Amino acid sequence: MSLSTFGRYKQKIFDSAAGLGMVAPTIIGLIILNIYPFFRNIWMSFHKSGSFGKWTFIGLKNYTDMFSSEGFWKVTGNTLLFAAMTVPLTIIIALLIAQLLNQKIQGKGIFRAIYFLPMVVAPAAIAMVWKWMFNTDFGIINIVLTSLGAPVKMNWITNPNTVMLSCSVVVIWSSIGYDAILLLSGLQSISTTYYEAATIDGASSFKKFFKITLPLVSPTMFFVVIMRIMAAIKIFDIIYMMIEPTNPAIKNAQSLMYHFYRESFVMNNKGYGSALALWMVFIIAVVTFIQFIGQKKWVVYDV
Amino acid sequence: MSCLKKIVLLLAISAIVLSGCSKKDSSASAKGGQDGVVTLTMLGWEIYQKPGMVALAEEYMRQNPNVKINVDISAWGEYWTKLEAMANTNTLPDIFWMHTNEFERYAEAGLLADITDLYDDVEDNYYYNHFPSNLVLNATYEGKIYGVPKDWDTIGLAYNKDIFDEAGLEYPDETWTWDTLKEASITIKEKTGKYGMMAPQNEQEGYLNLIYQAGGYYLNEDITKSGFMEAGTIKGMGEWISWNTDYDFSPTQAELSELYTFERFFAETGAMLYMGSWGINNMYINYPDLNWDIAVLPRCPDPVSGDGRASIYNGLSYATGSGNKNLDVVKDFLKFLGTEEAAIIHGANGAAIPAYNGTGDSWINNYEGKNVKAFVDMMDYGVQFPYSKTKNEWFPKTESLILDVYTGSKTLMEMSQACAKLVDDYLMTE
Repeated sequence: MSLSTFGRYKQKIFDSAAGLGMVAPTIIGLIILNIYPFFRNIWMSFHKSGSFGKWTFIGLKNYTDMFSSEGFWKVTGNTLLFAAMTVPLTIIIALLIAQLLNQKIQGKGIFRAIYFLPMVVAPAAIAMVWKWMFNTDFGIINIVLTSLGAPVKMNWITNPNTVMLSCSVVVIWSSIGYDAILLLSGLQSISTTYYEAATIDGASSFKKFFKITLPLVSPTMFFVVIMRIMAAIKIFDIIYMMIEPTNPAIKNAQSLMYHFYRESFVMNNKGYGSALALWMVFIIAVVTFIQFIGQKKWVVYDV
Repeated sequence: MSCLKKIVLLLAISAIVLSGCSKKDSSASAKGGQDGVVTLTMLGWEIYQKPGMVALAEEYMRQNPNVKINVDISAWGEYWTKLEAMANTNTLPDIFWMHTNEFERYAEAGLLADITDLYDDVEDNYYYNHFPSNLVLNATYEGKIYGVPKDWDTIGLAYNKDIFDEAGLEYPDETWTWDTLKEASITIKEKTGKYGMMAPQNEQEGYLNLIYQAGGYYLNEDITKSGFMEAGTIKGMGEWISWNTDYDFSPTQAELSELYTFERFFAETGAMLYMGSWGINNMYINYPDLNWDIAVLPRCPDPVSGDGRASIYNGLSYATGSGNKNLDVVKDFLKFLGTEEAAIIHGANGAAIPAYNGTGDSWINNYEGKNVKAFVDMMDYGVQFPYSKTKNEWFPKTESLILDVYTGSKTLMEMSQACAKLVDDYLMTE
């Protein structure tokens, strides 16, 4: 009897060890790359960084500095505005494209590849090309516009009023493909029987879209919305590549992440940068929390 | 209970992994090969100096077959981020360029190898005997020398002869003042439609020169107070900004942030710009059809003090990390870099004006028919590029404040006051 208890015990240990062994690569990766840095980041946000790894405890000073700084609220505003400008448009366009790609058309594979292509290109390369396209004197956008009769050349990326719009265009362009592919997979999982039934009942395609497609793709859409908002709040590369520090429009284009980069790595103010990073975590957490509450109103899980 | 066990196990695993990480070998670049060949890495930030650096490395390798030297270049924008990360992880390159903006921070942290006695077996006081004293001081911290002077640079006026001919103007010379520059620029704009003087928001190749010409200063001598509120500083800064904002002979700051002065100069749509001597090599090699030349900087006609002449002058040095594994080999290479022979190789490959006294000609001779001698002549009234220990923190902030004057959201006086307060506060912490 005692032997069999021991055997079961041994078996249990073996099972747990095997299980742990299998998840170990992920868990170890998470600990090293995410969990440890996160707590280290919290620690750093209460310190002032000296040269080369010397840290002095300064309590909440980074946070009080941050919340009392005008520039900080400006970049937070910029970031939220940026999310508001890019997220809805990206998703609407992506859904339209996904819907088009879901039809029975020739060369569907090629279209999918084309729409997905911007995702494969390095963001830095995208930003460089767009930067030239936006150039006031030599950019193709202004050349086309003036040939169509536009009275003045637009300063797309140096005018404080248009700089955010220009960056948004680039981001939307480069992310619709990815979102469209995700939404397409959502569309394809919708059973055709619903549409057949609706057709028999004489529903218009408009009605079918709003009554069948939209509710049934909503779980995928919810995922896409969450990921897209997070990406928008963390925007950095496009702005960093397109906007020079001496660009007069820089104050209207700086995002939180860009501000974080300047503080942490240019000015070497890593404690303050850590506080900024936590502020970003806070914003993302709040926005995501609101979405998880709000999803009950619009996401359909069981059909 | 089993949950607790799992957590304990997890922590044990992570502890093992983390301790494994910290035990990593700290030397990344310098490794002795099996056949006794030592491989060294040299890191700099100016791509146009790469041929010069490679030539130096090759000459040393020829004399010392047991050493192999790789030259890496990392653009200025990333260089310091990278170097700091390397310093933090104890993986500094074997030889790297050091700039006055950063030198004190590295020296203070004890990261640089002390090479004060590098030439003791050659002669006493070698550094001061063979290099301009300013350059040696730039690499000196608390009486110890941490860098072999590499090169120096001044700022000159680069101009396009063809555009001057087109406008029917005399070429710039040493009689020019700020007023002559502005008059010529206005004429060029009127006659050719091209830009005259292009004045971007730029510190070293811009307002800093005018500040010192007008008799102002950036930082006082013992680096305890900023000079932003000095009459000369305000005069020089105001003059430089006005060239951009008050006249149409310069592209606006918005236009320049899309296409900088250099691109416009190379494309022959602008006639003049202030250029550091380090920029010549690129222009000479890549734009052979451009009919350019160099003049000394125009002087301030009515300075608050002084004779109205100044050109910002700075020098770099070669340094190595104090924790280097092959310090003896590296030091021997550094020693070679500070010789006259190396200086001539450096200059002859157009890298930059070599620091070693009397070797300036080796650099000048690369540019036949061009008056690059102006850069060397300006050394007579050159002003050391100002720096302080926390400059990497306060400079980007002043840059952003100065930009406000270009966009009109701050007046010159508001900016000067804000900069003075900002920099003074930082200097207090040093």
